[in-house]
Amino acid sequence: MPQEYDLTLKISRYDPDTRRSWIQDYHLKAGRILRFVDLFRKINDEQDPTLAWRSSCEHGQCGTCGMKINGKPLLTCELLVERAVGLFKTHTFNVEPLTAARVIRDLAVDLENAYERVHFVKPYIIARAATHPDGDEYRISPRTLDAYVEATRCINCFCCATACVTQRNYLGPNAVLANIVRLMDPRETAKEKRLDILYGEQGIPRCRTARACSFVCPKEIDIAHFIALAKEGAFRPEPSSTR
Amino acid sequence: MNVAKKLKIDTVLRPEVLVIGAGGAGLRCAAQICECRPGTSIIAVTKVYSPQKSHTSAAQGGMAAVDSKDPVDKIVYHMFDTWKGSDCSADQNIIKKVCESGWEQIVWLERHGMHFSRTEEGRIAKRPFGGHMLNFGRVKAFRACYEADRTGKGIMDTVWGESLKHGVVFLNQSVATELIFKNGRCIGAVVFVEQSGKFVAVLAKATIMATGGKARMYQVTSNCRQNTGDGLAMILQAGLPVMDLDAVQFHPTGIVGPGILASEALRGEGGILRNEDGERFMERYAPTAKDLAPRDLVSRCIMTEIREGRGCVHPDHKLPHVWLDLRHIPEHIHKTRIQEVSGFFRRFVGTDPQKELCPVTPTAHYQMGGAPTNEFGEVQDDARQIVPGLYACGEFAAASLHGYNRLGTNSLLELITMGKVVGDSVAAYIEDTKDPSAIPEDAGGRVFAQFAAYLEAQGKECYAEIRDALRVVMMEKVGVFRNEKGLTEAIEELKELKDRAGRMKLSSKSLVMNQELMQFWELDNLLDISMVIARCALARKESRGAHYREDYPERSPEFQHHTLACMTEYGKVELGKRPIDMSIYKAKGKHHKKFGIIERKY
Repeated sequence: MPQEYDLTLKISRYDPDTRRSWIQDYHLKAGRILRFVDLFRKINDEQDPTLAWRSSCEHGQCGTCGMKINGKPLLTCELLVERAVGLFKTHTFNVEPLTAARVIRDLAVDLENAYERVHFVKPYIIARAATHPDGDEYRISPRTLDAYVEATRCINCFCCATACVTQRNYLGPNAVLANIVRLMDPRETAKEKRLDILYGEQGIPRCRTARACSFVCPKEIDIAHFIALAKEGAFRPEPSSTR
Repeated sequence: MNVAKKLKIDTVLRPEVLVIGAGGAGLRCAAQICECRPGTSIIAVTKVYSPQKSHTSAAQGGMAAVDSKDPVDKIVYHMFDTWKGSDCSADQNIIKKVCESGWEQIVWLERHGMHFSRTEEGRIAKRPFGGHMLNFGRVKAFRACYEADRTGKGIMDTVWGESLKHGVVFLNQSVATELIFKNGRCIGAVVFVEQSGKFVAVLAKATIMATGGKARMYQVTSNCRQNTGDGLAMILQAGLPVMDLDAVQFHPTGIVGPGILASEALRGEGGILRNEDGERFMERYAPTAKDLAPRDLVSRCIMTEIREGRGCVHPDHKLPHVWLDLRHIPEHIHKTRIQEVSGFFRRFVGTDPQKELCPVTPTAHYQMGGAPTNEFGEVQDDARQIVPGLYACGEFAAASLHGYNRLGTNSLLELITMGKVVGDSVAAYIEDTKDPSAIPEDAGGRVFAQFAAYLEAQGKECYAEIRDALRVVMMEKVGVFRNEKGLTEAIEELKELKDRAGRMKLSSKSLVMNQELMQFWELDNLLDISMVIARCALARKESRGAHYREDYPERSPEFQHHTLACMTEYGKVELGKRPIDMSIYKAKGKHHKKFGIIERKY
């Protein structure tokens, strides 16, 4: 296993001042466990301070540094050089911004705009159920929580929305998931409103069941599983239920 | 074309309230204002591109809180642990306020949708955490409420959701650059919007600062890329003081590379620290507690090994470190109890902790100090008079709940309790306060001059070199170990770095999403704050909590106070004192003796 790799990054650039876009090649040597965010920093430090890219926590918790590497959407803070070489069997990498939103500069996209879709599904409790008579917390059994706890782990990195085969008029897997969380949350009573969003114009009828979302999710959430539950009607109120 | 001359305020926005920093504390505060006073117009500024990306989201552990109906645990135990943990330098009025309202705030979060982990009975589950004990330090307490290993994310999603619900307007990817004052009252701030490259003035009845931590001046830190002390630098530039900035908490086992924490749980499950020779060095320093000695002690031992040449240097990250050995831990424990954290080594260092040694090194984690406030979150000046219209909460503020050392899980607790307190204060304040009238003519003058200097600077100095030099000097001389010689040298080096920073030339003069321009500004902020840390650390000739002076290894009654610091010009720091509140002790209640000047011994 080599201790150092000779890499070529072919990075998509865009300059909003001149509206010019181009691909720029950067050649660099990098140790085996540097991460792609470290590579971008190295490029800024040693070759080109103008290359713009976004990151924040840099350990897979915030979902700011999503990009497409050789076509695959992923978090670049988690991609080690060694792993990338193994995964893509190459030392040359195409680095592109996520397609879930328009590009502002280089690799930085307007995720603020992409977030509109998450806002649309109301990522909070719209109307809450009656609280416990003791006046403290709700009683939610671990089993009930287990059914949807995976879905609460989503960090809205928009990797799934980038990988999704439906790119138009669709809320996207992550926003749909945020809606499903509250459909499964016993504290939420506005289920009808949520079902309207779920099955509405921009909802899951647009999903074509390619399962790309589950495949690329950096948090390894099986998003397609939750969407499948929605498709089979699992969140519709049971006819026998009076509540 | 001269870009610098074009700097001006593009738009004036007039909400009732401005929140600077939209993390856990800022948005808990915003949600509270909206609950108290529906319809209040609020603008929240965040440096990240959506509030959900705030660093609060990265917090793992939990929030300590005692339900007053709890048959075993008592609020007074939690208050005692916090006081003892702080090495007798937290303010007791704050300890009381926070500990007493903790449970109520947990319930608030739960009612607003946070997905707490549950007990079999369906109630909020609790787990033990370092330093939290029953019966005044006797046995460990189950006190930390948590959402798996993502408690911070749970809080962030909840307060962000509530803010959206109430119609808070966000200025994302934007930084507050200058506070605006009129007749001594804070009436808002000048905000730079990165995405458009424009300056916006936000005029408000009340301004809340909650910009979080600032540890990016250290070579290894668990803090996110945005934590560059911008808010504190802005406070200093306004001529206001900061408090206890020398109190920086280091976690002993940061993972080399991302700097994130390899939790104590790994050592709790049997993990062993080893130096380059493979020696279990903790046996030499702490024969009984060994690898499980308190955080600050373990950090010092690791640094001693490194300083005495028994550390390693990581070939890729070029960082000195020691090893954490997890190879002997049984597979089923790797797979169950430490799965997440041992997974971090696989993911970020490409190391299999079941077969290989893991590189760890002390990491700058948390700032106990910050902008001094009273118990209502009102920011104080150097004469301890409140600054009308200006509030602070969260890690950014020093009320002070933590004094010179913070207990695990008390940070998240502070965000939600003090966030709520400040929300109540602000809601009452704006009720009978008039909107600020016209914008002062000189608003933005200081920041325009600063940005113009970046845009016009000529010279050959390199940003990355200065940044790296700063991070090394802070780690080595103002880090885990401090002494007079090192601190004096650090101050001189910082002056030189500040000088060099004025000779960096921008590659692109664009204002739109110009990362290099932001980095120049951040570097200036980091250099300012670093100088204040070094000056405060030099003046505090004792060791207390996270502040350790090799030349003064004991705590001293002479320094039984908070340190206030103002910086008039670079390197010239004026220090003042603020007494430590001892109201619990003075109230002469049942357990008051526990709240006197006690030893911090575990």
